[in-house]
This record gives sequence, structure tokens and C-alpha cells, in this order.
Amino acid sequence: MTSAEAAAWYFKKAARIMDVGERIETLLVTPVREVKVQLSIELDNGEIKTLTGYRVQHDNSRGPMKGGLRYHPSVDADQTLGLAALMTWKTAVVNVPFGGAAGGIAVDPSQLSLKELERLTRKYVDQIHDIIGPTQDILGPDMSTNPQVMAWVMDQYSRYHGHSPAVVTGKPIDLYGSRGRETATAKGLLFVCKELFTDVSTPIKGSRFAIQGFGNVGSHAARLFHEEGALIVAVSDVHGGVKNAAGLDVAGLFDHVRKTGSVKGYGGGTACTTEEVLTADCDVLIPAALGGAIDKHVANEVRARFVLEASNGPITPEADEILEKRGVMVVPDILANAGGVAVSYFEWVQNLQHVTWEEERVAHELQRVMRDAWEKVAHINRSRQLALRTAAYVLAIGRVGKATVLRGI
Amino acid sequence: MGLSTKQLEKLLTLPLFKGLTQAEAAAFFEVANASSARSGAVLFKEDADGDSLVIVLSGEVQVTRRGVELARIGANSVLGEMSIVGPGEKRSASATALTDLDLLTVPARRVQELLKANNLAALKVVANVATVLRSRLAMINEKFVDSLGGKGKKREELADFGRILNSWDF
Repeated sequence: MTSAEAAAWYFKKAARIMDVGERIETLLVTPVREVKVQLSIELDNGEIKTLTGYRVQHDNSRGPMKGGLRYHPSVDADQTLGLAALMTWKTAVVNVPFGGAAGGIAVDPSQLSLKELERLTRKYVDQIHDIIGPTQDILGPDMSTNPQVMAWVMDQYSRYHGHSPAVVTGKPIDLYGSRGRETATAKGLLFVCKELFTDVSTPIKGSRFAIQGFGNVGSHAARLFHEEGALIVAVSDVHGGVKNAAGLDVAGLFDHVRKTGSVKGYGGGTACTTEEVLTADCDVLIPAALGGAIDKHVANEVRARFVLEASNGPITPEADEILEKRGVMVVPDILANAGGVAVSYFEWVQNLQHVTWEEERVAHELQRVMRDAWEKVAHINRSRQLALRTAAYVLAIGRVGKATVLRGI
Repeated sequence: MGLSTKQLEKLLTLPLFKGLTQAEAAAFFEVANASSARSGAVLFKEDADGDSLVIVLSGEVQVTRRGVELARIGANSVLGEMSIVGPGEKRSASATALTDLDLLTVPARRVQELLKANNLAALKVVANVATVLRSRLAMINEKFVDSLGGKGKKREELADFGRILNSWDF
């Protein structure tokens, strides 16, 4: 089950608990628009390569739709639809005035030169420019797309529609990007964790964290939690892992990663596997790698009291039930990693107002957004005795549903 | 006419004769006439005077109004219930034999005489007519709402969803 399929499953579970009925369920899951486009580009060697691009716009009841642009061989219509729906629920949980969308190109970007990637990106924008825009559908980075790709998107769209930085977020700081965008997801994670720990009267200082995945989110999370006095007892990436029950020296670990490109082989601890990170003796487990890492087998071995889902769908629905039965509290992806889309919203706001916020303001606003979202989800969790994940989906359905009812169909 | 016990028992299973005792049924059908019709025969035409209740004992009848087929009815069904409610009723539809038919006809005038005399069997039959008509009216109401494109229903469903959402404290 992909993370998008898992999200659809969780949506259905919440919709059944709310008893919204089959036709309302269909109304909520059916996308507004699905587009598939042909992308033919000339390669550097003169050959023609034809690829397929997608854009799915899922729901716009709460505002312009927002979603990533993914370059990966696995991209297809189903995956894109699932991600678009996930964005609808995520933007609703953190209450930013966006709907959900997603897009991508079925391509292995490592096989393309920078020039080819630029031509491909511009071609994609050529094909969809009339259905995206600052008040319609706003793109952002996802797997294998970065601030440079976002800059090309902005430039190409602006050629058709005039200067429009707000058509895309995750842009470089030097080209209408927002300060704090790079650390946004990890910071959102930290802010949610602070709220959770306040509720359960536990200090972050001295608590033990295990982090699976050391990319943008995982590495920033390690640094941020370490700065709060937490012990980072285990980390891993695709190459391997390292653990130290007394806490890893995070500065040393970063030096090692800068030099070798991986946490593997870091001398400040003992080598371990990814699975050992997931089942490490710790207080908080942060899965920040690809989806589905925690299946039913791993779930029985998880020793953390809390799991913060930094990536989308790291826990399979089966494993989720096991963790719930075992009393492990899971902060779901649509809440825990929503800091990214929240700061994307701030970037859009800054672009529309032609202003630049200081990093402190971004962090302050992000904390407010994450705190509000946590309070709402935690309230449903307590008052209805629902797991945090189900509570988050209930909140998302509630917000999207209210907008839909108020607008009329 | 005299009907066999078996025939009477069969008739008593029809909704229109529900609740009648064997004796009451025998009295009611005393005035009935047995007849038959060939395939293609017109039993009655719409807007003609409704002067009798017709019971199809065997065969199949097509019921039409303004040329549109409303129903096909088979053995042990009843036509012209309206005619026994009161005088001056017009046939609401035409009835044509699709096969050879065996029929039983009860003159409406005769039923009305029984009603005037407070005949229990006739009163029970009229009460049954009311029940049959009520369920048909409910069905027509439903079709009428559907013919409006289901708009009334849709608005209600969306409003129901709104009420569900209001029951949650977001």
C-alpha cells in the first residue's frame, strides 16, 4: 500500500466514523480536474525524448489548490491523485486557505543534464500554464525538485501571464523565496512535539530521539531537537545507520555527513541498520524517509512512546492499529509534517504583498499555525476518544466539508 | 353467480378483498359476471364511464393512457377499483387483452347499492381500495420528486452533511 493509498484508507475510516454517507464521501474524494500531458524535449545529443506529465487538482473549496511537483519514474495518475488528496487534508488540518493538488513527471532526473531538466520543466509549464496560477493552483517542490526547478516554473509561467512569483513556492531566497522554507518541515515537527510534550508534561530536554532518514527533514530535525537539549540516540539514511545510547554528537555527525555524504561510518557511535533505528530504545521515533517503513513486524518492536511522522505515510495502516493497541501515540503526517506547506503559504502571502518576512516572523507564525492545529486535533482526540490520526482526518473533513456546504455545490 | 370455494379462496388473497370472510366474499361476488375475452379485445377505453370492477382470472392485460403503457397485469389482478368508490367515475386508462382472458366483472352500481345498505363486505372492499390508492399516491409522489431532477433531495443531503459537521466541535 502506497502512502497515498494509506491516506485514502484513513480518510474513509474517519468519514465512516462521522457517518457522512456514500455520496458525500464520493463528493469529497473525487478530484476537480486531472490532466495528463505529453512532454517532448530535445536532449543534448539531439535525440527526442517524450515523457508524460500529470497535474491533479483535488479540491478547491477552501482556496487555490496547492501541491508539489515530483520528478520520479514512479509518477502516474493514481499516485498523483493520492498525493493531491493528501494535500487537501493537510492544508485543512493546519488551516491554511488552500485546497489540494499534486503533479509530476514520470522521469528519472538523474539521467538528464541540467539543461535537459530545464527544458523539461519549461515544457511542463507550457502544457499546464492555463490551469495553474496564484489564485488557481500553486506548485511547490517535492521529490527530486528543488528551488532551481521552482525558479524555472516561475519564469516560464511569467512569460505567459506576466510577473507571477506567487504561482510557485519553494523558490530560491534570491528569487522571491521565503526565509525559513528549508527548515520549515523540521521546525513544524519541533513545534508540534513541544505542544505534545507540554500536554503529557514531559520535557524535550533529556528525551531520547531516533531519526530514520537524514535528508532535508531528518537532518534539520536532528539539529533542532538537539538544540532543545534532546538526545539523538540513533539515525540512519539509505546507506546505513549509527546509534549511541548516550546521545550522538550532532555537530560531529554533520561534519561526517558533509565529508562522506552519509551518516554511515560515523565514529561517534556504533553502526546499526535502519530497522535498529526504528526499534531503538528511545522516547520519540521520527520516521523521515520513504513511506511504509513501519510495517506490522516493525510495529511490534517499536520501543518509542511517541512517533512523529515526518514523512508521508511511514506507517502502514496495519502497523498503525498495532501501535494504537500498544499505546504508542502517533502524531500523523498530515499534522506533523505540515510545517512545509504552512511556510509555503507564508511565501505565497509575501509574494502577493510584495514583502519579505524576517526568519523570526516566519518561525513565529509557523509556531502559531502548528499550535492551533495541534490544539484542535488534540481536542477531538480527547473529547471523542479517537486516535490523533483519525482526529486529524475528522478535522480535515470538517473544514473541507464546511467550506463545501457554505459554498454550495 | 356462484363461485367455487377454491376460486373464492384465490380471490381472498388479493389486496382488494383482504379481510373478507368466505361468507362475505360469497355474498359480494353473488352479483359478479364471469366472461372471457379474445386476445386484442379492448376491455374498456380511457375516459369512458367506469361502470364495473374487473378481475382478471387468467391471461395478460395491457394498461395504457394516451397511448403510453402504464402496466401489464396478469392473473388475479384487479382493474377499475375507482369505479366502485362513487358514480360518475371515468376510466383513467385503457385496458387491452394481450392474451385470451378469463374475467370476473362486478357492476359498480350493484356495489354502491350494497354500500347504501351498509353491507360489511362492500365496506371492507372500499376500505381496501383506499389502502391501494394510498400506496399508489406515495409512489407517484416519489416519482414527482424524481422528475424535478432530485433537486429537493440533493439540497437536503448537503444540509444533512452540514448538520453532521455542526455536531462536531471543530
